Amino acid sequence: MRPFLLVNSPLTCSKVPDSMHYALLITGSPYQTKACHSALKFLKAALLNPENTLDGVFFYEEAVLIGNALSQPPRDEIDLRKEWADLAKTHSIPLYLCIAASVRRGIINETESQRYELSQHSLSEGFQLEGLGTLIELMSTTSKIIQFR
Amino acid sequence: MNNTLIHLSSSPYSSLACKEGLDLALVLATFEQPVDLCLSGAALALLYDNQAPNKTDGKQLHKLLDGLEFYDIENIYVEKNSELMRAGNIWSGTKALDSEDWHALFSQYQHVFRF
Repeated sequence: MRPFLLVNSPLTCSKVPDSMHYALLITGSPYQTKACHSALKFLKAALLNPENTLDGVFFYEEAVLIGNALSQPPRDEIDLRKEWADLAKTHSIPLYLCIAASVRRGIINETESQRYELSQHSLSEGFQLEGLGTLIELMSTTSKIIQFR
Repeated sequence: MNNTLIHLSSSPYSSLACKEGLDLALVLATFEQPVDLCLSGAALALLYDNQAPNKTDGKQLHKLLDGLEFYDIENIYVEKNSELMRAGNIWSGTKALDSEDWHALFSQYQHVFRF
């Protein structure tokens, strides 16, 4: 498992405010890395403290594969997509998938399906396709973004 | 200041990581967010001149380097004396940092993302 990066410098965060607003950036594949698993564990731990607010999770690169509605994990293994969707729903945390990274990997919502004149769509419920501008907005509005890769 | 360092460390041709890291840098710059780049490891291959990848190899990312200044991305750092940088025929727009400055670089930004 690769360690995650704390992406805010301690120099810029010397005083930890009472209420922390976080966002997560996940870039590691749900199949080739433990990035999505580690981020989920982190999120569960962070939510134990009511002073932590998770403003959003942005999936980029291979991590967008988490939003594939057609993937079927073996029944005796963790259903990572469902775990993410359930946790996000419980805590009203938006799960964003980078639209460009998703479309090139076949994660398509209904709008994109029409745009590309396809007959199917594959985006799982609980996830939404957004541009990188949404990540940049999260970067500007939260105290800390943590990357899992 | 909301400044960002994009650290490229993956080979430009073995995965999409380099391309998607550069995409993020360009979008940040488009939104007028200060962004610098640094390259290490296999990503240094991006800097070699005379690359001619075909469609199967991947996108010609080296050509993108000359366009970075138009996005106001002007700081592209590498570590001085890194093995691959000695090979010559390297894109000339990088700033080489000695080891101490290279290691200090990562604590000078509010956000550091690695690809």
